Amino acid sequence: MAASPENRGWIRRLWSWIWTPAVAFSSGFLIIAGFLAGILFWGGFHWTLELTNTEEFCTSCHTMETNLGEYRETIHYNNHSGVRAICSDCHVPHEWNHKIKAKIMAVKDVYHELAGTISTPEKYEAHRLSMASAVWKKMKASNSRECRNCHNFDYMDFTLQETRAASEHQRAIDNNMTCIDCHQGIAHSLPSDYLETYQKVTEALDSKTPGAAHQQVAENGEQIRSFLTTRTDQ
Amino acid sequence: MLELLGTIGGNALGLPGILGLALGMMTRRLWLGAAMGALIGVIETLLFAGWQIAHVEALELMIAVVVGICAGSLGCLIRRIGATA
Repeated sequence: MAASPENRGWIRRLWSWIWTPAVAFSSGFLIIAGFLAGILFWGGFHWTLELTNTEEFCTSCHTMETNLGEYRETIHYNNHSGVRAICSDCHVPHEWNHKIKAKIMAVKDVYHELAGTISTPEKYEAHRLSMASAVWKKMKASNSRECRNCHNFDYMDFTLQETRAASEHQRAIDNNMTCIDCHQGIAHSLPSDYLETYQKVTEALDSKTPGAAHQQVAENGEQIRSFLTTRTDQ
Repeated sequence: MLELLGTIGGNALGLPGILGLALGMMTRRLWLGAAMGALIGVIETLLFAGWQIAHVEALELMIAVVVGICAGSLGCLIRRIGATA
């Protein structure tokens, strides 16, 4: 004997209600209501997602204090033009698909905050190279996509650049290099022996894409960072 | 693992998931819903690769197609259950 509607559990009654044709509402009403609900839901979802892109949100964790301090010494934080690149500008893609992927992957940061993986300066230093190489790998693989949201070789006027910068950028174009090939450590301090690790990252990615094996690591990274730091101080 | 989950999530909340579901809801034929979802998966991957096949990663394409198939099939099932005529 089938159970009467009153005797069914609330889940079954809800399921039945969802799939029963609406008799009290017209199709137009349901379409408009659904459309408005969709706007509200999607707007709220997107707005919440944008809140997680703020500098305050990114640095609200204790473990982010070290990299925040380092970033505040760089040209991306303080410069003559007043244009600032915050954490999400470099670490969160603009494109929806890549952005959602980055946000889901960022769950690991919450885990490591709770687990205290980099909770002390010693632990931070111990993990600095692996953290940096993970970011380099992403940037190299995406042709420095997040850098290119603001910077683009096509928009550079080499005549306005320092002679050395202009020649290095021309070399980068000629050798099919990307921003991160020279600008590692542009926002955070570099671990020792970083160049060797970066070379390995590049080689590992090159092995996946045959024919791309150029010399794609800057030979004068220290000079580039020194130059940009000097510009920050001005 | 995390990269895999991220890619699946990105596709589920992106074109293959949402447009795939919407297109699936337009048919009662399961194969057609799944095929349209898969097509959206291919188009989305190509779109993000700048329409260059060389830039398409096999794993990303595969995940986008699978998510599209699932979303299209789900949409088709919603149509079958939810429409009276």
